[in-house]
Amino acid sequence: MTANLLNTLDLDRELSDQSPQEIIAYALEQFDNIAISFSGAEDVVLIDMAHRINPEKVQVFSLDTGRLHAETYRFIEKVREHYGIQIDVVFPDAYAVNNMVREKGLFSFYRDGHKECCSIRKIGPLRRKLLTVDAWITGQRRDQSPGTRTAIPVIQDDKAFARPDDTLTKFNPLANWSSNQVWEYIRSNNVPYNELHDRGYISIGCEPCTRATGPGQHEREGRWWWEEATMKECGLHSVNTQK
Amino acid sequence: MKITLVKKIKLDGSLCRKCEDVQQKMEAADQMSLIDEVLLADERDASSPGMVLARRYNVDQAPFFVVEREGLQPEIYTVYFKFVKEVLNQKTREEDELKEILNDNPDLDFL
Repeated sequence: MTANLLNTLDLDRELSDQSPQEIIAYALEQFDNIAISFSGAEDVVLIDMAHRINPEKVQVFSLDTGRLHAETYRFIEKVREHYGIQIDVVFPDAYAVNNMVREKGLFSFYRDGHKECCSIRKIGPLRRKLLTVDAWITGQRRDQSPGTRTAIPVIQDDKAFARPDDTLTKFNPLANWSSNQVWEYIRSNNVPYNELHDRGYISIGCEPCTRATGPGQHEREGRWWWEEATMKECGLHSVNTQK
Repeated sequence: MKITLVKKIKLDGSLCRKCEDVQQKMEAADQMSLIDEVLLADERDASSPGMVLARRYNVDQAPFFVVEREGLQPEIYTVYFKFVKEVLNQKTREEDELKEILNDNPDLDFL
């Protein structure tokens, strides 16, 4: 594992100057069992890029929380047809959802915060899916998160979801791109997009937890707006962990 | 097998909240006796033993566990419940594991 970690660090330095397409090409070349996480939003650019690079190797999954907008379901289907690919739609554990809803109702996140619901509806199925792959690709970008989340690497060793005694590599090819760059790519390449974006939605998640944002608002303000932004406390300060 | 627990001391000198929480859980479950060494990653001191280990293994979260087995590469665990299940071979509740993962990786809810 040590050697792998050192490689990942070195690779991040090497890949961070490269374009998302070059990073995706590298990822597809290195891993046979690799999947793209597609949320039904602007991360569709990952599918478009991967499809242009190597259509045979495009493996995509989406987390269906059961609470997505109808528009998002339509968009996932549109993407499936447009690119002629399979999309593995993964679902939360019915027993866990059933227990939560029976005990707390269908909108407990407005009262108790969104994390319990997200952990059951997103993290559980995500973990199950990631146990089946060697690497995954996300559309996470640095500009999506205000405050301390400004150091998303383009490649990382994913310790949280790795199989026991194994490694899982996570690629974030869009880490260094801005929202504007993503949309420039979508428009100039005629990439299909979720119709909610035309109605003021920047970030798109579950229907009860997503709203359109106004001019000047950060996209994070369109998600879980009833909760206060909290600072991540247990990160080790990056200045001090770097040599 | 040697197990090292690394806890973080914040810039104000206090123990990080999750480190406190994990320590309490471990004491309640009588797991501290299974830990061979406890090191501090002091954010005020880049040369503190825990910070040195964090750099060596590219770890950016605390607390974390280093599990060393003879003849094998060290394994790093940043998720407490994963460590409990896979190394200590004790039962955990899935909902606790999932909540911990999300708390440690707040951007995952953005997927």
